[in-house]
Amino acid sequence: MRLFASTTREVFFTAALIVAGILALIPDANAQARGDAQNGKKVFEKLGCFRCHGSAGEGMPQTGKLAGSPKIGGTKLSLRDFLQSVRKPTGQMPPFLTTQVSDEELSDVYAFLHSAASQPKLELPSSASSKDGEHLYTAFGCYECHGYQGQGSVQTGGSRIGPPQIPYSGFVAYIRQPAGEMPPYTPKALSDAQLADIYVFLQSRPQAAPSKSIPQLNQ
Amino acid sequence: MSPRKKTSVNRRDFLKSAAAGTAALAAAPAARAKQPAPEGGTRAAVAISPEAELRALPNAEILTAERTGSDFMVDVIKSLKIDYVCSNPGSSFRGLHESIINYGGNRSPEFITCCHEESSVGMAHGYAKIEGKPLLVMAHGTVGLQHAAMAVYNAYCDRVPVLIIGGNIMDATKRISQVEWAHSAQDAAAVLRDYVKWDDLPLSLPHFAESTVRAYKMAMTPPMMPVLLIVDAELQENPIAADASPKVPRVMPYGPPQGDSGSVDEAARLLVAAESPVLIAGRAARSPAGLVHLVELAETLEIPVIDQMDRMNFPTRHRLNQTERGPALIGNADVILGLEVNDFWGTVHSFRDQMERTARSIARPDAKTISINSANLFVKSNYQNFQRYPEVDIDIPADAEATLPSLTEAVKRRLDASRKSAFADRGAKLAAAHDESFEQARDAAAVAWDASPISTARLAAELWAQIKTEDWSLVSHATFVSRWPLRLWAFEKHYQYIGAQGGYGIGYNAPASVGAALANRKHGRLSVNIQCDGDLMYAPGVLWTAAHHRIPLLTVMHNNRAYHQEVMQVQIMANRHSRGLDRACIGTTISDPNIDFAKLAQSMGVYAEGPISDPKELGPAITRAIQVVKRGEPVLLDVLTQPR
Repeated sequence: MRLFASTTREVFFTAALIVAGILALIPDANAQARGDAQNGKKVFEKLGCFRCHGSAGEGMPQTGKLAGSPKIGGTKLSLRDFLQSVRKPTGQMPPFLTTQVSDEELSDVYAFLHSAASQPKLELPSSASSKDGEHLYTAFGCYECHGYQGQGSVQTGGSRIGPPQIPYSGFVAYIRQPAGEMPPYTPKALSDAQLADIYVFLQSRPQAAPSKSIPQLNQ
Repeated sequence: MSPRKKTSVNRRDFLKSAAAGTAALAAAPAARAKQPAPEGGTRAAVAISPEAELRALPNAEILTAERTGSDFMVDVIKSLKIDYVCSNPGSSFRGLHESIINYGGNRSPEFITCCHEESSVGMAHGYAKIEGKPLLVMAHGTVGLQHAAMAVYNAYCDRVPVLIIGGNIMDATKRISQVEWAHSAQDAAAVLRDYVKWDDLPLSLPHFAESTVRAYKMAMTPPMMPVLLIVDAELQENPIAADASPKVPRVMPYGPPQGDSGSVDEAARLLVAAESPVLIAGRAARSPAGLVHLVELAETLEIPVIDQMDRMNFPTRHRLNQTERGPALIGNADVILGLEVNDFWGTVHSFRDQMERTARSIARPDAKTISINSANLFVKSNYQNFQRYPEVDIDIPADAEATLPSLTEAVKRRLDASRKSAFADRGAKLAAAHDESFEQARDAAAVAWDASPISTARLAAELWAQIKTEDWSLVSHATFVSRWPLRLWAFEKHYQYIGAQGGYGIGYNAPASVGAALANRKHGRLSVNIQCDGDLMYAPGVLWTAAHHRIPLLTVMHNNRAYHQEVMQVQIMANRHSRGLDRACIGTTISDPNIDFAKLAQSMGVYAEGPISDPKELGPAITRAIQVVKRGEPVLLDVLTQPR
């Protein structure tokens, strides 16, 4: 697998050298075809990009004072601009130097982000049941890291998921193949229908009251 | 001569011999020169005076003695100014036990009755982290030392001094059949040797005196650790003459090892030149002075501090406390300074526990790393608590607290106006980031505020609301309650937090909190313990010890009815195998029946309430509990909580 990925990159760079002179004339929207999406996924996970951008680059919405992160799956940036945004980000994102990740690897990430965005979008089934989801959420151990209300914990590493911070498609993608520490929930053990139930249960979790309104949190 | 023979003293035969000899001396003074000198530890007893009645009855068996070796041992222990001895009684140290409570007057040390040797050492562990000096622990031969083992390992990993005396009967001919054989060992220290700093088997009273003082000094020298003396029962119980005066050696403490000036200066050069340095504190402040030194260094450099809270290193609401931003700061740092960081490698790497375990550096490849760590001065082979080898650019094997003043001075010598200006700019940004992190923590704490079971954030917030005006001390660790106290409370003083187990051995928290509360008692502090249910069930008898000795302590249960870390571990395996996702609770939860911790505590004389599952009831219960604690009693509130 590793050999294959390496060989693919070598081919890409050989080709890149040949066409270097005209590269700037080719629309960068096709750049994903030149990268190794599989390796890009590995790099994406290794660098921890998923922590802020989600496992498929779906982004995170802003919650309270917590800044969100932009959707980068299927990014409209050219490869050149994408590289620039990673090397010298303008927002809160930390810079990733060439000593940490090569341009070649970022090209693979770029390809992965486009391939992830091309996956069919999952629709949340209307039959999903919050009541069933509440039972499944506890019975199947989601509460262990995320708390009974999906509040999350810095000790377990379980993020806040009640209400969910990511769209249903990203939720399913992450649970099926988590990029971080979370153990995977395969369809064999947890069906798509059950996963939908859990999602709508989490959607039903109330938003937190403003901390300023709670005297015990203003001491 | 074997050690066993050296310590082998037949005190009954010796007393007979001494009595007979004295009777003979009365009749024939010239016979004095013919008195045989007993061997080994009882050489000081040659001049013993027999009882008066034996003069009248020269053939009677001598059954009493006015002064024994254990009395002298108490003299030695008192010279170390040890306040308490924590112990579960055992016959192999009955001599020393009796001498402590009678000859020593049960003062300095005072006997603290424990229900398990793990509790004895755990109490000493917590006590030392508050008071900065060790307790004495006495443990029975073989069985007591084995009971103590886990707690000793925690203290060893946590670099905490504990002075342990283990009983033993070396001379096989002096052991009563069955029990004393089972409670004796050829090498009694072997069971603990892998995780104590030093051990010895004194063969005489002068030997005991020197070894005890040596052990104390070694335990108190960074890296601090437990030490162990195996004290033979015969040596304790054999008489010594009323006029004998074996020497009690002076205690002259070793100075803590400081970093060499060249390395310290190079570290200062890197830190001053750095644009985005970060300071990580593990066990940096082993005393209140360490906290002060660390604040001075941080403010001189305007450097962000990530406090791993193995000790109370840095005020939580100080503008430079950037603990909540740890990984991002490390990832962006050009210089990383670690002070007594337990796992430097793990601090600058992330580790992913999936089917294939993988790790990656989170630090910049060009980042320079500096470590000051006394742990490198004492590493043992067998137990692997020394962690993965870190590639550090400047590795200073020294005590961080002792080295901090010279490092700060070296930094100040290199400062110029340009750097001071740059530091001021950096400090202003860090202050804003600190405020933002604090607000984020408050917002996160508001999530699931009204949940039942009660959220750990609410538990922490309800406590803080009522203790913040007291002179308080959190004597438990905060790991399993998602670090909420550390994120919400204003920790300022060194005694307000004592870190965690060290060896990650469960069963530490309950006794350590009682031991820390014992240390806090004389200072009039309000000791607060957030107590995990699984941890308390290892040796709940320590609640009785708290009640019996009137140790004021507010214990609030974090009762999630599980060994929750293990629930998650089994869940990982079930998910990995795509089976039985709903069975991770088997073997990992503590329910059916649910433990009634209030009744458990009440049965041992502790005021208790609960279980409390309604978050609105928690605040009033804490109010009532604090009133009881202020009367000088331990209290337990059983609170049903979210898992983390």
